[in-house]
Amino acid sequence: MPLSTSPGRAPGGRPFLLAGFGSLLLLMLVAGAYALRTLDQVRNSDLEERNTHLRRDRALDRVRTGIYQSAIFMRDYLLALDEKSGAIQLERFAETRRQTDQALAECTTLIDSREREALGKLESEIQVYWKLLGFISQIPAKNRLKFGSEYLSNQVRQHRAELIEMVDQVDAISARQMAASDARMNETFGRLRRRLTLIVALALGVGLFLGGFTVWRTLRLERELEHRYREVLNTQQELTELSARLVSAQEEERRNISRELHDEVGQSLSALLMEAGNAAAHVPANDTHVRQHVDSIKRLAEASVNIIRNMTLLLRPSMLDDFGLVPALEWQAREVSKRTGIRVQVAAADTAGELPDALKTCIYRVVQEALHNCARHAQARSVRVVVRQEEFRIVLSVEDDGRGFDARRVRGLGLVGMEERVRHLGGAFNIRSAPGSGTKVDVELPLAG
Amino acid sequence: MTRILLADDHTVMRNGLRLLLERQPDLKVVGEAADGRQAVDLAAAKNPDVVIMDIAMPQLNGVEATRQIVNRNPDAAVVILSMHKDESYVIRSLKAGARAYLLKDSAEADLIAAIGAITEGKSFFSPAIRSLLKEDYMHQLDELGAEDSYELLTNREREVLQLVAEGKSNKEIAGMLNLSLYTVETHRTHILQKLNLHSAPELILYAVRKGIIS
Repeated sequence: MPLSTSPGRAPGGRPFLLAGFGSLLLLMLVAGAYALRTLDQVRNSDLEERNTHLRRDRALDRVRTGIYQSAIFMRDYLLALDEKSGAIQLERFAETRRQTDQALAECTTLIDSREREALGKLESEIQVYWKLLGFISQIPAKNRLKFGSEYLSNQVRQHRAELIEMVDQVDAISARQMAASDARMNETFGRLRRRLTLIVALALGVGLFLGGFTVWRTLRLERELEHRYREVLNTQQELTELSARLVSAQEEERRNISRELHDEVGQSLSALLMEAGNAAAHVPANDTHVRQHVDSIKRLAEASVNIIRNMTLLLRPSMLDDFGLVPALEWQAREVSKRTGIRVQVAAADTAGELPDALKTCIYRVVQEALHNCARHAQARSVRVVVRQEEFRIVLSVEDDGRGFDARRVRGLGLVGMEERVRHLGGAFNIRSAPGSGTKVDVELPLAG
Repeated sequence: MTRILLADDHTVMRNGLRLLLERQPDLKVVGEAADGRQAVDLAAAKNPDVVIMDIAMPQLNGVEATRQIVNRNPDAAVVILSMHKDESYVIRSLKAGARAYLLKDSAEADLIAAIGAITEGKSFFSPAIRSLLKEDYMHQLDELGAEDSYELLTNREREVLQLVAEGKSNKEIAGMLNLSLYTVETHRTHILQKLNLHSAPELILYAVRKGIIS
């Protein structure tokens, strides 16, 4: 029953396993790629952010410096001893103002659009500051120092302090922006961590499931294999038993047919022969016609009796059942000698006594087959058959002086049959032969009890 | 008048034999047995002169039945009439005490002659059996390349051998050859030794094989 279903099931798991392991690999690949990409992104944006922050800081610093410096140049203008050096101070002021405006413009491009308001306020206040400072240059030379200094310390200084405070506010915005970017990065990292954790957990789950499935499947395959192996063993054993039963059935059949032929057909023919004789006694001496027919009947019956006799002996020699193994072996030896000219010697103590039927049949058939081989293949001149009974076993050997063969390679059906007969009775079968050095068949059979 | 017991498990065979035998005026069938055991019982009850015995029979085979009949009455003359044409059957029949061995297919031709010989104390074998035994013997001699041990016997021993094989007793032989009983016994022992034989049946078999008797 399992034979029909399991071969269908076994390959079914394979695509599943392939898909499973494939998706597991894919999952890990995707996770790796994602992690790398995210890390790259984070590094790039961090670099950019820091760069922007740095430039913004520098620009703000320049603005701050510009605010201070411009006031210093104006003060130096007030303190100038002549017109020429005063003009130089004014030129410096204009240059500082230009640069500061430039720095402020740069700052505008670097700041987040939402924070522009503070910067715009700073921009307009700075323009006011420039106007305040520019006013100094318009003071007439004679009361320039006195009035200008007063103006500088009263008007400009206060406004400057407000301006610096504004710059500091913008600075704080920049710092806030920096912190926001850090927070964004942290969030990106957190997301990466969460996703990676999820993917690893998923991979772990899939892996565990796949591992479990693989182990389960392997175990099942192992069990199945063992089951099959046992089935094969059983089948083998059954086959051996079957073949042994076949052999014994064949033997039994031969015995029955042999007996039937001998006891029924043979006897009837003998009786027929005798009746023909009796009939002939009543035929008048001068009736040659009838006498010829009766003679013909007698000759036919005689020939038939001989055929029957040979058939019964070939099927199974009656001596084997009537007198036992040794007379049967001796008969067999005589027959082979007569038929082939090979000298067959049988050395067997007649005291071998009554052996169990299976045993004597086995020995007889093995000898028959061995002698058959000697006659057909070995080109032997003489064969020696030895049967020896020991306490717990019977030892048989058939040895010829023929041309031999390579016993390791050649294994005919006859030899296999011999071996099988012997093995079935729990005996040992051994054949020793080599080209040019004859053949020896050794058999050992255990005696029950 | 020779009184005969038939032992064969085939009725047709027994009927045929009876017909054959009773054509002779001096032969009379006094009993028929269908198996070995019955043959032994009838032999004891009717005490026939000759028993014609088949080998393959139920209950008790012919060889065993012969042994029992001869054991009880050593003078019983048993003719084996069998389908078996092999030395082992002949030897065992002789060892059991039978004095003639016929093949069934030659019964019609030889049975009357066999009964004649056996009632005179001689042995008798079907021609086919004789040639079989002889053939086997010659074959064995050829095989062994052995010298024919018959050559070892003296002329006197050969005479004694023939008479023994013909079923004569030591006493009869002594009378015929004008020898003492002791001398005949000595000759007999020597013959058995030289020919490597062990019993009277073997000696008879040997004589048949050599063609000394028929």
